[in-house]
Amino acid sequence: MAGERTARVWAWIAAARDGDVPVSLAVLCRAAVRWLGVDGAGVTAVSGPAVSEPLSASGELSARLEELLFTTGEGPGAEDFMFGSPMLIPDLESVAARWPGFVPAAVAAGARAVFAFPLQAGAIRVGVLSLYRALPGPLMPQQLADALVFTDIALQLLLDSSSGISGQDGYRPLDGLSDSRAEVYQATGMISVQLGVTLEEALVRLRAYAFAAGAPLDDIAGDVVGRLLRFDPEPGPGT
Amino acid sequence: MAATVDERLAQTFVELADTLVAGYDLMEFLQTLTDRCVELLEVDAAGLLLADSRGVLRLVAASTEQARVVELFQIQNDEGPCLDCYRSGQPVIVSDIRADRAAARWPRFAAAAREMGYAGVHAIPMRLRDQVIGTLNLFKVVPDGLDPAVVVAATALVDVATIGILQERAVREHEVVAGQLQRALNSRVVIEQAKGVLAERLRVTPDEAFVLLRRYARDHNHPLTELSGDVIRGTARIAGGK
Repeated sequence: MAGERTARVWAWIAAARDGDVPVSLAVLCRAAVRWLGVDGAGVTAVSGPAVSEPLSASGELSARLEELLFTTGEGPGAEDFMFGSPMLIPDLESVAARWPGFVPAAVAAGARAVFAFPLQAGAIRVGVLSLYRALPGPLMPQQLADALVFTDIALQLLLDSSSGISGQDGYRPLDGLSDSRAEVYQATGMISVQLGVTLEEALVRLRAYAFAAGAPLDDIAGDVVGRLLRFDPEPGPGT
Repeated sequence: MAATVDERLAQTFVELADTLVAGYDLMEFLQTLTDRCVELLEVDAAGLLLADSRGVLRLVAASTEQARVVELFQIQNDEGPCLDCYRSGQPVIVSDIRADRAAARWPRFAAAAREMGYAGVHAIPMRLRDQVIGTLNLFKVVPDGLDPAVVVAATALVDVATIGILQERAVREHEVVAGQLQRALNSRVVIEQAKGVLAERLRVTPDEAFVLLRRYARDHNHPLTELSGDVIRGTARIAGGK
């Protein structure tokens, strides 16, 4: 069943913590290396078309590669993902012509395969999860399916870190974002207009509200769509 | 009678093939396809569900965006003809969901379908060689099966949808398939977000917002997914009014 894979991946991530610290992107990257058959994993935040910033990496290889992505401005994590599908490159040298700056440096650093997954929900795009391998070869179907669940959780962690809820006790991703109901996305659009903020910010607020209310995300989204709940801009200073 | 169905089917294939040119809008294509399913297969509602990487069936296009019908497509992730069809890879034809046997097999789904006024519920697998990538779900108000000729037509339409989604007729690698499915599913999310933005701006329901969105896309020859992005960014102005 669909939920079993998510539960399994979440358990892997929870088990990769040191003691009782909250789950973070660094913990997620460690679990990815352990369970996805890769040698490095990193998350990069994207805060504009060309600006990306390494957030977290597991292993020396991925730390160097994340840095390379940043400095060369090339590579699968830096490229604009066509239509938002993952970019899977089982043999890095086969794409040398595409990224003349990145590929030779990445190969010299020891990477031979790169798999990059956009952290996105519709028009919202917050970053990239990149997986690296020291030997060429594709991800197996099960690894790919697991990697997509890691991607989903990384997206949720990144969104929830900006509202601070991911560091709180009892935090766990609310629902798989990718199997959320249509109302969650409709409510996100509505809240963005109500608050005059980006879709990303609207989704962050919606998730934080659901977490604080201890209610399922779908239920809160349903209330927004049914116009039982509105998000009003907080009165600014002096108003 | 059969000849006219064949003729209309042929016209539909021509129309869909015409749409499959470089840079076509996948969401618009799938939307047209579900509309044609309703007309050609003589059903009352049609929805296309794709399985994501975890095997969750997600709606990508439907002939009606009425929220409660959409819900009916979606609850089949727990139980229902679509889930059975997806798992078995075989068509599931239920002439009357109100019958005791159907109600015993899928209690929650059967109750919801009954409440919506549907009796005939059918699911056709969407296949890529030995892999099932989704299902076409058809609802009928009257209790009725699908005769074999209609199942053949539905299967042909589903095959066209597969081609539209995967773009390449000879997709070999699971990676490419997974990527294209992600792309289709993400495009659907962009449309949902745009429905919400428009619903709030124009004070209409998301269902009404979708009607406006689609009408504008057609009138202005503007691809639906791209238009949705423009609505989100505030660069497309769509007026209300019904």
